[in-house]
Amino acid sequence: MNMDRKWIALAALMALLLVTACKKPEPVVTPPPPPITETAPPTDVKPETTPADLVDATEQKPPQSLQEIQAEAEAAGLLGDVFFDFDQSDLRSDARERLDKNARFMQSENGKNLTFTVEGHCDERGTNEYNIALGQNRSATAVDYLISLGISRSRLRTISYGEERPFCTESNEACWQKNRRARFVISGGN
Amino acid sequence: MKNSFPQSRYCVAAVLLILTGASAAVGQNSAESPQLGGGVDPTLTIDGVGRAQIRIAFPAADVDSSLTGEYLEAAREVEQTLRDDLEQTIVFNTQGPTELAVLSLTGDRSQDFEQYRSLGNEVVLLATIKPEGDKLVLDGWVYDLPSKQSILGKRFRGTLAQTRLIAHYLADAMHFQFTGRPSLTLTTIAFQSDRDGFQELYLMDYDGRNQRRISGHKSTSGYSDWSPAGDAIAYMSYFNGPPGIYYVELETGKKLPIYGEGVLNISPSFSPDGRSIAFAHSSQSNVDVYRCDRTCTQPLRLTTSRAIDTNPSWSPDGQQIAFTSSRSGRPNIYVMSLDGSNVRRISFEGNYNDGASWQPNGTNIAYSSREGNKFRIAVTNLVDLKTKILTRGPDSYEEASYSPDGLRLLFTLRRGKESQVYVMNADDGSDWRQLTHQGNSSAADWSNFKQK
Repeated sequence: MNMDRKWIALAALMALLLVTACKKPEPVVTPPPPPITETAPPTDVKPETTPADLVDATEQKPPQSLQEIQAEAEAAGLLGDVFFDFDQSDLRSDARERLDKNARFMQSENGKNLTFTVEGHCDERGTNEYNIALGQNRSATAVDYLISLGISRSRLRTISYGEERPFCTESNEACWQKNRRARFVISGGN
Repeated sequence: MKNSFPQSRYCVAAVLLILTGASAAVGQNSAESPQLGGGVDPTLTIDGVGRAQIRIAFPAADVDSSLTGEYLEAAREVEQTLRDDLEQTIVFNTQGPTELAVLSLTGDRSQDFEQYRSLGNEVVLLATIKPEGDKLVLDGWVYDLPSKQSILGKRFRGTLAQTRLIAHYLADAMHFQFTGRPSLTLTTIAFQSDRDGFQELYLMDYDGRNQRRISGHKSTSGYSDWSPAGDAIAYMSYFNGPPGIYYVELETGKKLPIYGEGVLNISPSFSPDGRSIAFAHSSQSNVDVYRCDRTCTQPLRLTTSRAIDTNPSWSPDGQQIAFTSSRSGRPNIYVMSLDGSNVRRISFEGNYNDGASWQPNGTNIAYSSREGNKFRIAVTNLVDLKTKILTRGPDSYEEASYSPDGLRLLFTLRRGKESQVYVMNADDGSDWRQLTHQGNSSAADWSNFKQK
C-alpha cells in the first residue's frame, strides 16, 4: 500500500513536470507557411495549426477532419468545382481541365483513400423540378469523365440540389454562372 | 351531415336547361384576357367572357337573435363564407344585400319573390343560422322565383371550428343541384412553403383559408401529388440524403417511404386508379421516367433516351403519361403510352417547357413555358396541338395544376426571390386570386373532389 502510494505520487509529480514543461516552450523558429496558390482566397486558409502545437514535434497531430482536408486541397488548387453553360450538362474545356486536376488529386497519396460526393447545382432560371434533374446530369457527367480517367465509381456519389441551394443569390450572369456547377465534397476516407 | 328537408325537384329541368348552355360556354371560350398586366384583379370577370350563369338573389341570412359573442361572429362567418363560395363557383351570379337594397321587401314571401325576380334573378337562396347546443345549424332553401317552388333544402350542423365547412357543404349542395357536379368548395390544395424555416408540405382549403403544415422533415420537401381518393399525398424529400419519394396518410399523418433507391427520385404522379405511381429516377447517372405499384419493389423503366426524361404526369384516362424530355436539345413536353412507346411531342412554344398538368377531361395540358428568363402558363389542346398563353405580365408564372372540375388553374407567381400560389380561370387566364401570403409558397396541387 505504502509503496503503491509512493509510486503514484512520483508518477503524478513527473506528469506535472511534463505538463509544466509543455506549457512553457522554448521559442523556436516558426516554419514557413505552406505554399498557397494565387487562386486561393485568403479566407479559405484556416489558421488551424497554432505555434504552440508546432513546438512539440513528438506530439501526435490530431487527424484532420474531412472539411480540413477539403479546405487544404481546395486552397492548394488540387480539388475544385466544375462549371457549366446555361441549360447544359456537357463538359466545357475548362471543366475537363478542372476534372483532370481533380483526378490527379484523387490518385495522389493524400487523396487516394478519399471518397467524394459530387453535388449538381443549377441557376434559378429553369423550373425548380427540371433543375433537380439537370443538376443530376451535371454531377453524373462529371463523374463519368472521372471514371474514364480511371477513378473508381465506388469512390464517387452524386446528389442533385437543383436550384434549391444556391451559392450566390443575385439575379445576374456572374451569379448564375457560380450556381451552375458540380461541387466536389470529400465525404469519407483517410 | 344530416339533411332533414326533402329535396324538391320542381323546376330542376328548366334550370338544368339553362345550365347545359352554361357548361358548353365554359368549355369552349378561348378569348384571351386583355386586362392582365401582371397585376392581380380581385374582381370576377365572369360575364366579360359570356358565360351563362344562374342569377341568384341571396338576401341577408336570418341569424338567430339569441346568438352573441363568438357564436354571432361564427354565424357571420358562415354567411360570408357562403357568399364567397357562390361568387367563386362560376355557376352563380349573385345579388347580395347591397344589390337588393333597392327593393322594399314586405316579409310576404310571394311578393318578395316577385321583387327579387324584377332585378333579373331566377332563384333565391334563403339562409337561416341558429344555435343548437354548442353547435351552429345552417339551413339553406333555394326557390325557383317564377314558380315559387322550392328547389333545394339542406341543413348542415357544425361546431365553431367547422363554420366555414358547413357553408362549403351548402355551396357544394347547391352547385350539385344545378350542375349535377360537385363544386370545388370541399376540395383541398397541397403546396410547399418555407414559412417555418424549411421547405415543408402544407394544405389549404380551396379558397386559401385554413393553411396548415403536414410535414416536419426540416429538409427540402415538396412537389406533392394527391392520391385520387384524397386520402394521401406522395411527395419528394431530401431528409434522408438523396431525394426519395414518400407518402403521407392524411388521416394518421403517417409517412411511408415509396422509393429511395439510387441517387434521385422526384416528381411522383399517381395513376387515376391510385394503384400506381410514375416518377423520375436515377440510379447513378441519367434521369429517366419509371412507374411502379404502391409497394414499388420493382419499378419499370419507361424512357431510355440519353437526355433528361423527368417530371411525369399520369393522364386522367390512365392510358398515357406526359413527361418532360430534353431529347430535342431543350426540355419539352411529351406524351407516351404506359410501356414507354408511342412517344409524341406536344409542346412547341418557345425553347423550354416543363411541368405538365392534364385537364381532368383530357382535353388540354397546361405547363410552364419559358420566354426570356421568365415563364408563362401555356395550355396545349391535345387534339389540334394549338397552344394558348394564359399569363402575360412582368413576373414568372409556373407550376400549373388543374382544379378537379378543369375550370381553374393553380400556379406559382415568382417575383424576384418571392413566390406565392395563385389561382385563375383555366380557359382565359382571368380572375386571379392570391391564395398564399406567408414566406415563399409554390408547387400547388389540387385534390380530387371530396368523396361523400
